[in-house]
Amino acid sequence: MGEPRLTIARRELQTLRSEKTIVLALLIQLFIAAFSSFLVVGLVSLYDPSGVEGYETTVGVTGDARADLLGVVDEQAAMDGVGYASQSTARAAFERGEVDAVLLADRRSGRVFVTALAPDGSVRTTVTVVQLRDALSAFERVERNQRSSYLSSTPLDLPPQSGSTPYYGFSYTVLLPLLCFLPVFISGSIAVDSVTEEFERGTLELLRVAPISTVDIVDGKVWAAAALAPAQAGLWLALLAFNGTAVRHPVAILTVVAALSLLVVTLGATLALLAPDRRAAQFLYAVGVLVAFGGTTLLPANPINSVARLAVGSVGPTYPLLVVGYVALGVGAYVGLRRAVPRIGIAD
Amino acid sequence: MSGRSAVDRLRQWGRAVARIARWEASRSAAVVDRQTAILGLVALLLAGAVGGAALATGGVALDRDIYRVGVSPDSPYHEVVEDSPALASRPPDLGQLGRGIDVVVRDGQFYVADSQKAQAALSTLRDAVRRHNLDLMGAESNQSAAFPVVVTLTYAEQGSMTPDGATVDSGTAGGTDGGDGDSGDEGGLSGESGTGQTTDQTGTPTADDDDDGSLGVPGFGAMGGLFGGSTSGSPADISPPFPFGALVLAFVFFIPMNFVIQPYGSSILNERINRRGELLLVAPVSPTAIVAGKTLPYLALLVGITAVVALAIGGGAVSVAAVAPIAALYLAATFVGGMFARSFKELTFVTVSISVFLTSYAFVPAIFTNVTPIALISPLTLVVHDLQGTAITAGEYAFATGPFYVGSLVCFLLGVGVYREEDMFTQRPVPLKFLDALNSRIHRPRSVALLSALSIPFVFIAELLAIAVLFVLPVDVSVPLLLVVIAGVEEVAKSVHVYAGFRGPFAGRRDWRMALTLGALSGFGFFVGEKFTAIVQLVGLPSLTLGQAAFTPTGVVATPAMGLALLLAPLLLHAVTTSIAALGATRSRRTYLVALVPAIAVHAAYNLAVVSTLG
Repeated sequence: MGEPRLTIARRELQTLRSEKTIVLALLIQLFIAAFSSFLVVGLVSLYDPSGVEGYETTVGVTGDARADLLGVVDEQAAMDGVGYASQSTARAAFERGEVDAVLLADRRSGRVFVTALAPDGSVRTTVTVVQLRDALSAFERVERNQRSSYLSSTPLDLPPQSGSTPYYGFSYTVLLPLLCFLPVFISGSIAVDSVTEEFERGTLELLRVAPISTVDIVDGKVWAAAALAPAQAGLWLALLAFNGTAVRHPVAILTVVAALSLLVVTLGATLALLAPDRRAAQFLYAVGVLVAFGGTTLLPANPINSVARLAVGSVGPTYPLLVVGYVALGVGAYVGLRRAVPRIGIAD
Repeated sequence: MSGRSAVDRLRQWGRAVARIARWEASRSAAVVDRQTAILGLVALLLAGAVGGAALATGGVALDRDIYRVGVSPDSPYHEVVEDSPALASRPPDLGQLGRGIDVVVRDGQFYVADSQKAQAALSTLRDAVRRHNLDLMGAESNQSAAFPVVVTLTYAEQGSMTPDGATVDSGTAGGTDGGDGDSGDEGGLSGESGTGQTTDQTGTPTADDDDDGSLGVPGFGAMGGLFGGSTSGSPADISPPFPFGALVLAFVFFIPMNFVIQPYGSSILNERINRRGELLLVAPVSPTAIVAGKTLPYLALLVGITAVVALAIGGGAVSVAAVAPIAALYLAATFVGGMFARSFKELTFVTVSISVFLTSYAFVPAIFTNVTPIALISPLTLVVHDLQGTAITAGEYAFATGPFYVGSLVCFLLGVGVYREEDMFTQRPVPLKFLDALNSRIHRPRSVALLSALSIPFVFIAELLAIAVLFVLPVDVSVPLLLVVIAGVEEVAKSVHVYAGFRGPFAGRRDWRMALTLGALSGFGFFVGEKFTAIVQLVGLPSLTLGQAAFTPTGVVATPAMGLALLLAPLLLHAVTTSIAALGATRSRRTYLVALVPAIAVHAAYNLAVVSTLG
């Protein structure tokens, strides 16, 4: 009885290929990945001046605490301090563009009050503000040390600055799970469409008079859709590895993706059988998947975190148990659907 | 029939549209049976519960325990590691460094394994220690010793002696210090020197802005902490003007659109399955009325939801007016998708593509709202401005939403063109349907020029997306690549309807003379459309220098003088390259694609020359 199910699965994949929708699906995923990378790179370069090369900021310093502040500013990388005797000369230098920012520092009632003037409305604004923040934080540490006798606790020493790229964490905790799970969601959607389309076109009746059971039909559709996701995820993992993002435990990751794909596709097929109208089924599927994945992120061992930790290599020796857990979940749902199909199918 | 006035006809048309709209609305509502309604309700309740739980537990941590730090339980750093979600504590075993542990903290020393991951772990640890120190100091009783430096951040424009941005005083300083009053007195480096404008003591910026206001200073006010960077407090509190809160809120507008286009697309495709739409098609109503009637309920629904969302998150009429054209383009693109798709599966991919492309197109520029006026390319920027309480001029509104209005109009025109029996009920590949849709708008050679001009909004969108995607590459790769991509996009946009024409109305006249005529006309139409957008930029948004710089490669030049000097060059270029492609289009698809290569090459070379000579 394996043959008709495989035939149905093959037919499903053939329509996908002939409509070239799978190409569109891959393009969508690539685009989402590129888009999110762009977001992160853009945001990081706005927030972290070390990510942007070649910005040397000159700061005018004035006020009665300028000598102390000037010392700290000069110690900062990519920053240069110039002292000014009065505010108006500092301000004039800012207007002429000789300095990129002005700091007015005055001591009053045991504190240093700093008024920072940053350029407005340009890409430089953010970089300058971040640099000012770093310099003033360093200045704060110096001033705080002088007052340590008034404090009940001392701040911990900071670990040394590292040469890490800010994108490292993003690649493993956002980009890689995104590329692993987008194919899963798309596969579930394919299952919904594939089943509802048979209802809408009235071709399900034709299939059911053929010498195969409804379970076989659903089997074929679920297999085809579920097999697509791990194949695409494998492609993305290979591309990531080629691009220099080393992925540990690829087999375990693909197994998790395959198990979740089976689970989500089963969910989609069940919804499509329950609500054979495409509008209702797609809506329920979208909300259901959102709820399920949104809900699991609250759990300590959620799929996104599991895949991220597997990929980055931060799992203990017991990680096969985790993978087995996901497989049990997926297979359990699938077996449950197979049991339920005869009842749903006959009722319709 | 001929005696009836235009008003009467219009009224009849309106009645037909209203009737179809009513029918569409009632039919769509009827689809939802009791079972689905209950399931949907349960799903929505669950979604609410999940959202509530996420808020209650303080959000999600995708990066939980991805780095392992060896630290003994009696070390002061142990607490830091335990408190940081991304870090997991392990025994400080130096032998495990690089195997099970990334960083070891022992006796005040940090031992880091030799890997990228360990460097990332160290950087995360550094941030965690910094946060920990801040909390520690916040608990001190002597706050002036714990936070000895109080910063007030102000903005001013450089290189102009005119009064500038509103200076925000420390009214929003929050609880980090007791010095609100003091820094309030301090409030003006600029105030004392008499060139700036200080604010009142409540912390609301005074609107100065006769010249550049709405594009200039970020609208910090009482909401500064939420909608932009904070501007005063201890040094760690100040942050650049990034409208994070407003962006997240603006995203709320997009969620209902992605749900509404699904049933809309289904409804369009349903008409085409098993010839169901035939009855409507033979009724005495025009296809335009049918499409308008089928679309109206969904558009009204989206605008209604948008208004509710705007009320809920504190947006005004500007937000609704800015989001409505996005909704229209969503529906227009879905309509075209529904007309072209062959199956539900294909439709799903089309709608997902639409969601992804439009969301990113609206989002990417809006991130730079407070940084550069080029952000106005996206209507979402208007929403962010609205939420921040900044005023918006009519010119800015027209600039941001214009491409969306024109784009949705063009999409509907193309879709209505194939809303006829021979296209609706046949299973033809999408590219052929697309050519059919183009051909339905081509009646004479002149039409080619019009279609070229109408393609401008799409070219604009495609080029912006290319910039967004290629941005991540290093500059020496991305700039030449970008020029080639832009040339490719423009060449295809100018010539694809010429190719369609040779498959349709001009099939009998496939000679070189016709090809040159159509190529020149198409190039001319594109040139006029491009110049029109340039004029809008120059007239409507004089301060949009960065935008002009960014779009110089597309033929938009920086100053009117330069524009005059170079006016004829782009016209010649467009006409020549399109003629090359048109010559190829006369024969077959393969020759068309082959001819596109030299056309793109010439265009890219021109772009490169322009960019390198203009610097």
